Amino acid sequence: MTEMKKFNVLVVDDEKEFREMTVKQLLHRGMDAEGAENGRIGLDMVKQGHFDVVLLDVKMPEMDGIEALREIKHAKPLVEVVLLTGHASVDSGIEGMKLGAFDYLMKPMEFDELLDKLSDAFEKRRIQLEKIEAAQIKKHMSLPS
Amino acid sequence: MERMSNYYTSVTRRLLFAFFCLCLVPLLAVGWITKNSLHDINIIRLQDQATATVTAQAKVVSQVLKDHINRLSMLVNLLPPSFFEQQGNTEKLFLAIDNRDDIVDLQCIAANGRQYAYVGPYRTQVEGKSYAEAPWFHETLLNGVHISNVFTGYRGTPHFVVAVTNPLKNYVLRATVNSSSFNSLLLAAQISPHSDAFIVNRAGDFQTPSLRGETTISPTVRTLISGDGSRAPVVTDDAVYIARPLADGRWFFIVKADVEDSMSVYIPLYRKILIIFTILFILALAAALLVSIMLARHIRHADMEYAANSMQFAQMEKMATIGRLAAGVAHEINNPLQMISSQASWIADLLPEEDPAKVKNLGEYKESVEKIRYHVKRAGTITHRLLGYSKKMAAQQEEVQLTDLLNETISFVEKEAENHEITIQRNFVPNLPPTMTDGPQLQQVFLNLLNNALDAAGEKGEVEISTEVCGRELVIRFADNGPGIARENLKRLFDPFFTTKSPNEGTGLGLYISYDITRKLGGSLKAENRESGGALFTVRLPISRLGEEALSR
Repeated sequence: MTEMKKFNVLVVDDEKEFREMTVKQLLHRGMDAEGAENGRIGLDMVKQGHFDVVLLDVKMPEMDGIEALREIKHAKPLVEVVLLTGHASVDSGIEGMKLGAFDYLMKPMEFDELLDKLSDAFEKRRIQLEKIEAAQIKKHMSLPS
Repeated sequence: MERMSNYYTSVTRRLLFAFFCLCLVPLLAVGWITKNSLHDINIIRLQDQATATVTAQAKVVSQVLKDHINRLSMLVNLLPPSFFEQQGNTEKLFLAIDNRDDIVDLQCIAANGRQYAYVGPYRTQVEGKSYAEAPWFHETLLNGVHISNVFTGYRGTPHFVVAVTNPLKNYVLRATVNSSSFNSLLLAAQISPHSDAFIVNRAGDFQTPSLRGETTISPTVRTLISGDGSRAPVVTDDAVYIARPLADGRWFFIVKADVEDSMSVYIPLYRKILIIFTILFILALAAALLVSIMLARHIRHADMEYAANSMQFAQMEKMATIGRLAAGVAHEINNPLQMISSQASWIADLLPEEDPAKVKNLGEYKESVEKIRYHVKRAGTITHRLLGYSKKMAAQQEEVQLTDLLNETISFVEKEAENHEITIQRNFVPNLPPTMTDGPQLQQVFLNLLNNALDAAGEKGEVEISTEVCGRELVIRFADNGPGIARENLKRLFDPFFTTKSPNEGTGLGLYISYDITRKLGGSLKAENRESGGALFTVRLPISRLGEEALSR
């Protein structure tokens, strides 16, 4: 297994066991991870915290994944979202990607599969942030002159 | 099936009857109108003919009567009464005027009614007779002319009397005329064999015998002569009657023209028309037969297709329901599967941290965890397939890789093939180009053909599936080493409800639906027998790329 950069993950899933297990595994692999039991709580936590990647279940009571995704992208466009589609409706996954999700995963999947996907998402975010930073530095440096 | 067949036979019969009536009614109407028109035309013609005949012949008879009168008038004008006082003179005169042998006797009567000269065979009976009280004598004196009715005299031949006088001469000349000379004139008035001609007086007594030997006057003739001598012909069902007055309206010349006789003129025409109508009738019958058989066949085909489509629709509904059910089940199973997977990978993550010395069966645990992960993956594949299946119920165009689709389809039946020890051989060309088509529908076709091939191959049989690119087409072949298709069934193979399986095994719709689907996808489906034995089904599909319309139908 390649050495991974540490990043912050929020697991939003109404299935308590899965949520807690995934958080536990992520922590064990050296990530920072927290869980939220529905879309609304997840959205609040994204707004307040410093999450890099959100793992978002599509089918949830009280604000479903798609709705939450829209809100998250609205509040923090640079936070990457990986969708979890419990029912293999590729449609909702594709719909999510149109709304700005990084990718989608279908249950059941291997934990390593999940982690790879989250890492990819984080990598995208990192590059995006670096670009913005570079642009800001350029802007900053060009200001005095 | 037999009941259905009876139904269509009855449909054919009813259609035939309807079409036949439709053709027959106008034909009969035209025939009836033609016949009536011919009859009407004939009556008009017959009236004209009868009128012409009666006019001409009446003129002739009138002329004969006039001749008699004129002859006597001339004598009266020329000769003084004293001429007749000598018997020899009268006899000479009689001989002189009776050149045609039509005068029976001649007598001269004084104005006071006394007869003073007679020439003829009845001298003894009439000599010296006084006619002073006779009505005819008075009429002659009054009018100058008298023509009597015909009577049969002593000689038994029909006669009539003509008497003439001159106011200046004081005597009456009377001749008895043999009327049988008229009879020959009547012959010319006979229009046809059953037609008649005769002369009657106002009272309706025959003045000449009827040519047809009639002895009584028909009511029609009676009406004709009772009027004021109307010249219009009278038409009855079987004849046309016409009358012309003779001898100042005392007699009538009657001509009766027979309708049936006259119609004989039209017999050749009738025959011609009858032949034409018979031909038309046969043609109509043939046309009705042809149209009704074709229509019935068409209806039968349409009904079959409708029934097949309904069944196909019902089948699709059923499959969709099963699909939804499967999706529900799969979804419910995926969550626990995810948990098993998570737990297993958690254990896998933690196991390396254990001290191998302390954990006696570490290797076993690791192996066990891997097996759990493998089987979860397997179960996941199944649930995904189930979910995929439910999604397939909606028709769509997508890019399909036929090799994958065939492999997937074969995987559905692999187990069954194994049970029957049937080998499925795949001869797929590598890098088969993908095509835009309806994958799920196509899979239904493949599954159908594959199932048929397996059924045909039987225990320990062989099924071969091959692919090929042929120009702009993809060719997929399903071959088996079964008994093949009977020659008589080859034609009906793709008909709806045609099956050689027992009613519980097959609906007879599989190949029909497959045929229908491939056609709708712009392809074709063909069945034949292999030379080496067994059946061969060939599916051809156009290769179409994204954005291209399938070369449909």
